[in-house]
Amino acid sequence: MDDLLAEFIAETREMLEASGGELVAWEADPADRARLDTIFRFVHTVKGNCGFFDFPRLASLSHAAEDALADCRAGRRDPDQHLVSGVLAIIDRIAQMIDAIEAGEDLAAFGPEGGDEDLIALLDVSHETSFSAGLEGVKEGSGGGLAAASEDQGTPTARRADPAAQRTIRLPVELLDRVMSGVSDMVLARNDLAHRLRQAGTQPTIDGPFERLTTILSDVRDAITRMRMQRIETLFSALPRLVRDVSAECGKQVMIDLDGGDVELDREMIETIRDPLTHIIRNAIDHGIEAPSTRLQHGKREIGLLAIAARQSGNTISIVIADDGRGLDEERIAAKAVATGLVTAQDRAAMPRDKVLNLIFEPGFSTAETVSNVSGRGVGLDVVRQNLEKVGGSIKVASAPGHGTTFTLQIPLTLSIIAGLTVEVAGHRFAIPQSYVEEIVQASSRALDFTRMGETALVTFRGKRVPCLMLGEVLGLAEGEATATEPTLVMLRLASGDLFALAVEGIHNHGDLVVKPLAPAVMKSGLYAGSTLLDDGTPVLLLDVANIAAQHALVSDTRARVLGAEEDAAGASADTAPRAMLFTDFAGRRSAVRLELVQRIETAPASAIDRSAARPRVVIDGLILPLLGLPDAPLTQNRVRLLRLSDGACELLYAVREVEDAVELTGALSPVPEDPLVEAITLIGGTPATLIDAHELFARHGEPPLAAERLRCTLPEGEWARAILAPLVAAAGYDIVGADEADDGTVGILFEDVYEVAEALGRPIPPRVIRLRDQPEAPAGSETIYRYDRESLLAALAAVASARTGEAA
Amino acid sequence: MTGDLLVILQIAGRRCALSALEVKSVIETGTITPTPRAPAWIAGITALRSQALTVIDCRRAIGLVSDAADGEWPTDHRAAVVAEGGHSYALLVDGIEDITTAAGEVGQIPGGFGAEWSRVARGMIETMAGPALLVDLGALLAGPEAVRGEIEAAA
Repeated sequence: MDDLLAEFIAETREMLEASGGELVAWEADPADRARLDTIFRFVHTVKGNCGFFDFPRLASLSHAAEDALADCRAGRRDPDQHLVSGVLAIIDRIAQMIDAIEAGEDLAAFGPEGGDEDLIALLDVSHETSFSAGLEGVKEGSGGGLAAASEDQGTPTARRADPAAQRTIRLPVELLDRVMSGVSDMVLARNDLAHRLRQAGTQPTIDGPFERLTTILSDVRDAITRMRMQRIETLFSALPRLVRDVSAECGKQVMIDLDGGDVELDREMIETIRDPLTHIIRNAIDHGIEAPSTRLQHGKREIGLLAIAARQSGNTISIVIADDGRGLDEERIAAKAVATGLVTAQDRAAMPRDKVLNLIFEPGFSTAETVSNVSGRGVGLDVVRQNLEKVGGSIKVASAPGHGTTFTLQIPLTLSIIAGLTVEVAGHRFAIPQSYVEEIVQASSRALDFTRMGETALVTFRGKRVPCLMLGEVLGLAEGEATATEPTLVMLRLASGDLFALAVEGIHNHGDLVVKPLAPAVMKSGLYAGSTLLDDGTPVLLLDVANIAAQHALVSDTRARVLGAEEDAAGASADTAPRAMLFTDFAGRRSAVRLELVQRIETAPASAIDRSAARPRVVIDGLILPLLGLPDAPLTQNRVRLLRLSDGACELLYAVREVEDAVELTGALSPVPEDPLVEAITLIGGTPATLIDAHELFARHGEPPLAAERLRCTLPEGEWARAILAPLVAAAGYDIVGADEADDGTVGILFEDVYEVAEALGRPIPPRVIRLRDQPEAPAGSETIYRYDRESLLAALAAVASARTGEAA
Repeated sequence: MTGDLLVILQIAGRRCALSALEVKSVIETGTITPTPRAPAWIAGITALRSQALTVIDCRRAIGLVSDAADGEWPTDHRAAVVAEGGHSYALLVDGIEDITTAAGEVGQIPGGFGAEWSRVARGMIETMAGPALLVDLGALLAGPEAVRGEIEAAA
C-alpha cells in the first residue's frame, strides 16, 4: 500500500509539472482543444486515483475542476479568465495536499472539512452535484458518468499516450548513487590491479582481457554519469506558470520563450539553479519589463518578451535570460553604489558601463525604491551570485537602455565530477578545481620578485603585482624550505576576475576527480569544498578556492579595477620595446631569446630526454622534439627547465639552467660576427646578456616541417604487409591508405601474383606500381623486387617520389 | 530496549555502548588524510572503498582530551563506521570489545555522568557484559563546540 501511495504521489507530481505549462498555454488560447484535453486528463486521473486511496477532499477538488473542464469540452461553457484562475487555484491546492500526504501530515492543516468549498465555488458551475453529498455519491454518481461522457465525446487522441515521450522507469536516487559508488569502487580496484600487473611484467594472456575490462569500465562509468543527468526541461516546465503568476501580480503582460530544454544537467545542479533562475525571472518581470501602457508609449509591443535559452558548451552550460524591458539604469546603479559606499565617486567616474552594471551583484545592493511583493525581499542578486559561485558557476549582466537586459549564467555540467589538479604542500596533497587555474609558474623567488608587504606576500607575474597565499600557511601546516626558495605558483583566477597566486611545493597530476561531500564539521572550516579519491585510493581534500580567497579578503572589486588599469598601462608600453626572455644556460651564460619565439616554458623530467642519437631529443606532450643547450656532462637534476621555441612551423626546445624573467630590450644591440649563433650582446639591467640568433638556430636545428601533401601508398592484403612492410614504407615518407582512398598519385605495392591476375582480368591497377615477388631470384625479364630486398624497395619508392616531385615542379 | 544488540566500545577508559543498528561495519583504519584547520576532534578522512569517511576521535569529540594529555589512552586499529545525516564517519576509540544484548532499559544515575559525558550520553544501560554508557551518536558527532555554541547563544 505504501508503495502504491508513493507511486500515486510521484505520478501526480509529474503530471502537475507537465500541466503547469499547458495551463498557461491554454489560457492564452482557450480554443486550443489539445491543451484542454491534457488538463482534463490530469484532473480526471487525480480524481480516479484519490477515490481509490480514500482522500475525499482531493477527490472533491479534482471533481469540481473536472466538471468545469468537462463543460468547456462539451461547449456548454467558454473558458474565461475566471475559470482558468479557478482551475489553477484548485491545481495548486492539490499540489499542496500531495506534499502534505507525502510528509505524512494530516490534511486538516488546510482547514476543516469542506474548507475547499471557497475554491470550488470559484468555478461556480457544478449545479447538478451537491458537495454535501457523501464521497460515495461523488465517486459513483458523477465519476462514472463523466468517464462515460468523455468517451462518448470521442476524442481518440485524448487517451493515447504521447508517442514522442521517452520510455522511462522511475528509480530511487539512492539506488543510482549506490550503483555510481559501486562503479567508482570498480575503477579503484582496476587501478590497483593495473598497478600489480605492471609490477609483474607483461603477460599477454592477461593484458588483453584486462584492456577490455578497462574499456568496458570506462563506458559503464560514462553511462552511469549520464544517468544522473536530467533535461533542463524539468526546470523549464514550471517557468510558464511562474511567469504568468508574477506578471499577473505586477499587472504586466509577459510572453515567455524557452529554448534548449533538451540540454542535460546533473540532477543536483538543476536544484541548485532553480532558485537563482526564479529570482532573476521575478526581477525581470517586476523591474525590467514596463507596464503595457509605458511600453506602447515607447513604441514597443504591449506584451513583454522574456527569452530563456540553455546551451551546452563543453563542460559548462550557459543559461541566458533576456527581457526586452527598460534595461538597467547605469546612473541609478552608480548613484546607489556610491550612496551605499560600495565605490567612491572617484572610482565611479573611471568605471566603464559594464562594470557599473555588474555592481548589482554586490552584497547589500538593491535599486528597487519600493519593495514589492514580488522581488526585493531582502534576498538580493548577491545571494544569487554566491549560490552560483558555490557550485563553480558565475553570473554576469549586460543591458542596453530601453532595449532590455540579459543575464548570463555559466554553470558546470555536474557537481560530482570535475577536472582538477593535485598539489602538494608539507607532505599533504590537496586538489584544486581546474577551472580556477589560469597558469602554473615555476621560478625562483628572485625571478618572481617575491616580497612581503607586512603579512601579505606579493609576486610579480607578467609585470603585475599579484597577492600570493602560501598554501602551507593557509592550512596551518609547517612551511617547507622548498616553497621559500623555489615555489611552484598556481595562478588562480576567481569568477570575479581577481587573480591571485597560491604557492605550493609541487604539482602532481591532473585529471577528472569524483567529488564527494564532506561532513559538516569539516566544511565549517571553510577551506574545503569536498573530498575525492586519487587513483591509489587515498582520499584528498578539494580546496574551496573562492572561499579561501574571500577569507583572505582577496575578492574585492576595487582591487580588480586597480589591476585592470595596470594591465592597460602594460599593454600600451609593450608596443615600444621588443621583449626577450632572459635566462641562464647550462654553460652559465646569461642569455636571452626574443619573447615572440617562446611558446611556453616546459619542465621535463630527465627521463624524457633521449641522448642516444647524435642530436638529443625530448618528449613533450607526446611529441619528439629536438633539444639544444644541454651540458656535455650527464644531468644532475631530475627536472630540466626547457624553453619551447617556435618559428611558426617547427618547434625546438632549449634547455636552460634557470629562467629569469621577460625583459624589454632597451639597450643597444652590438652584433657579434664571430659567433653565428649569437645575434647580439646587449645590456639588460646593467649586465651583459647574449641574444640568441633565432634564424641561425632554426636553420641549424629546426626540424623540416612535414610536407603538406604526403605521398600515398596502398599495400597488399595480409599480416606481413601490415606488420613488416608498412613501417618501412611509412619511414620512407609515405602515408598508408586503403584501396578506396587511392587516387592517381597513389603508389600501389602489389604481389606479383596478384598483379598478374589483375592484369589478366583487366581490373583497375594503380598508375604507379611496385611489384613484389616471394623468391630471392628474379625470373628473367621481370620488373619485380624480392620482398626482403630493402635497398631496392627503398630505391623504387624514392624513384616514384622524385618522379612525383618532378611532375609537380 | 531489552534484547537490542549493542556494540561495546572503550572510550577514554570507560565502557560505552552504541546501538548495533547504528554501526554499519567495523573497519581496519588505513591511512588517515589529515584535515588541516578542521576541529581537533576530526582526525582526518579515510577511504572505505570509494567512499570517504570522516574519522572522529571520540575522546576529543566528547571533549575529554586536552592536547597535553595526548596518548593517555590506546587507540584501536579498528574503527566503527556509522552514518549520520547522509555522511559516513569512522569512530576512533580505545577498543572495540564485543557485541552484546541489552539487559534492561536506558536509565539515568543520580549525579549524572559529568559535564562532558552527559552531553553525549543517552543514559546507562545494563548489558550482558555489564553496565555501559549508551552514546547518543548525534551529540557525539556534533563535537564539543556544540555545547559552547549553546552557551554562547544563551548568553
